[in-house]
Amino acid sequence: MILYEFEGKQLLSNAGINVPKSQLITSYDQNISIKPPTILKAQVLAGGRMEMGGIKIVNAASNFQDALKDLFKYTNKSEKTNSVLIEEKIEHTMEYYVSISYDTDIRGLTLTISSDGGTGVESRGSKKYHISSLDQSIPKTDIPDEIIQKILKAFFENDCLLIEINPLVKSGDEWLALDAKVKLDDDAKKRHSEWQFPERSVPGHIPTEREIAAKQIDAGDHRGTAGSVYFDLDGDIGILASGGGISLIAMDALINAGGKPSNYTEYSGNPPREKVIKLTETVLSKPGLHALWIIGTVVANFTDIYETLMGIIDGIKEYEKKVGKKMDIPIVIRRGGPRDTEAFEELKKMNDYDFHLQGPEISIPQSASYIAKLAKKYATTS
Amino acid sequence: MLLLPKNVKIIGQGITGSEGSRALPWILSYGTQVVAGVTPGKGGQKLNNIPIFDSIIDATNNINDIEGVVQFVPPQFAKKATIEAIDSGIKFILIGAEKVPTQDAAYIYRYAKDNGASIVGPNSVGIINPKRKLKLGLIGGGKPEKMFIPGDIAVISKSGSVAAEISLLLKNAGLGVSWAIGIGGDRIIGSDFGDFLLEIEKDDSTKASVIFGELGGTYEERVALLIKEKKIKKPVVAYVAGEFTMSLPSDVQFGHAGAIIEGNRGLPQIKREILKEAGVIVADNLDDIPSLIKDILSKK
Repeated sequence: MILYEFEGKQLLSNAGINVPKSQLITSYDQNISIKPPTILKAQVLAGGRMEMGGIKIVNAASNFQDALKDLFKYTNKSEKTNSVLIEEKIEHTMEYYVSISYDTDIRGLTLTISSDGGTGVESRGSKKYHISSLDQSIPKTDIPDEIIQKILKAFFENDCLLIEINPLVKSGDEWLALDAKVKLDDDAKKRHSEWQFPERSVPGHIPTEREIAAKQIDAGDHRGTAGSVYFDLDGDIGILASGGGISLIAMDALINAGGKPSNYTEYSGNPPREKVIKLTETVLSKPGLHALWIIGTVVANFTDIYETLMGIIDGIKEYEKKVGKKMDIPIVIRRGGPRDTEAFEELKKMNDYDFHLQGPEISIPQSASYIAKLAKKYATTS
Repeated sequence: MLLLPKNVKIIGQGITGSEGSRALPWILSYGTQVVAGVTPGKGGQKLNNIPIFDSIIDATNNINDIEGVVQFVPPQFAKKATIEAIDSGIKFILIGAEKVPTQDAAYIYRYAKDNGASIVGPNSVGIINPKRKLKLGLIGGGKPEKMFIPGDIAVISKSGSVAAEISLLLKNAGLGVSWAIGIGGDRIIGSDFGDFLLEIEKDDSTKASVIFGELGGTYEERVALLIKEKKIKKPVVAYVAGEFTMSLPSDVQFGHAGAIIEGNRGLPQIKREILKEAGVIVADNLDDIPSLIKDILSKK
């Protein structure tokens, strides 16, 4: 999960790193207790705020209203501003870019420091240091050890994937973080009961209703995953793909075959039937579907194929009840693994659906071409 | 040591749990020698006639020549369990757990490296070698012969189901696998494509390899580097998935924890180009993999 700047600064502050005095406001008529000169910053997850007008300097209290009105209207790649952080303006002498993150090249941590912070720092020269995952000892850098130590402590104790401070500045004798980009490791959630952050979308993207509904399916239920990743797309073929890797292959193959997916989603790890039902309903609720593709490996290692396919059928029936209409679009099912024979026998009995059942004789790219054609045919004949 | 010998003796760590007890009969019936199980507090019991011990050290004190551990431990305990195995002198540990915190995975990687141990995973579906009757983890479920038949191609995959799917494609084309390996799709993994391909170089039973990669990270790029350094000489066919995600927002995790674009790293198109430039044969269509392999074998 990516944190908003104000949440990231709170995390740094808890680890003993100084941040400017600040106030978070959620509407422009709130009382402001910070005295100008101040910096006002729109709280959005997408980067590039400075260049796009998401940050304003206010030197006189009389200018607060105009600046705030602008900032609450500020959107970054369609991401809206819900809160603004008002901070005291810090005069400083030195500024640095500092980041810590995991690096697959070394399968460990890299600390990056650049001697001038600010925007565009990624493209300028910077020094990289490897941090041992075992003893977490710190290298000698241009920044006092004590500060680096605190940043590392914040990183490890909070199971971060990234801490980026740009800039870290020296003001008098004091070091302060003027910005903070922090990413937490969702896989460590179980050991952080203090993580009570509200749900959020990805940077620069407003989630659709279906994207929000799909995300809810996994919330609070850790048995397998269904819907944690869901995106609405422009096409007419509904997708219920299973498995991380297979779902990527299937989407690439469908697009190569000229098919147009209406969504991307993936379920895996043997999710219970209730989750599959909800995900199916979400996928079917998209208007303008001309086909439904239930795609996965035909040789699943351990997912119960009977349970998941029957969950999809239950989901189809629930959806039919809601809209009061029978599903007549072609449904291609390419799937196999534990209990697949039972599942397919059951499906063959349901002859009021336009099922196209496929097994090991049809590959994923072949299945993709097949459904692309069916969708086109349905679109022209219905 | 990543490519285990025939008849290697294995401990099942956490084998009495739901996933472990489901997998154990499948592993045993395949002919793999799981000679002990370890679950704290359950020492003295038996499961499928396998003795259960309270600790790894209890098991190795009672049974000689144990060389590896296959782990069925929940993600939050994987680090502790792995350290216990390494401290008990075990040099091979396959971690099946999904959602192991990245901080723990990085610790495990470093700790194993410093102690001369090999780690596969986290989030590995397992390893199978049909000729050696070796099957570790959930790979192949209860019917491994459906997709994994003996042959001389190694399949190394970030995804467990894709390892099965590619092995099936090979089988349908009359080819078989020497090894099928799920390395896991996490951000930090104990053994990546390169680590396995380096071992495959010395493995007489393998003529060529297929790797399945996806967006995110730099493990595919490392293969290209090792080939350029002439450390990997046997032919490699690669498939890299995730091109369609380029039209979606970045900073999204697509399925596996490591399948994420951050900044400009990890783009599938770039991975393909780097691999091609190094001499890897990159398949644009999954179905092309068997014929590309046959071409390679006929030229040798």
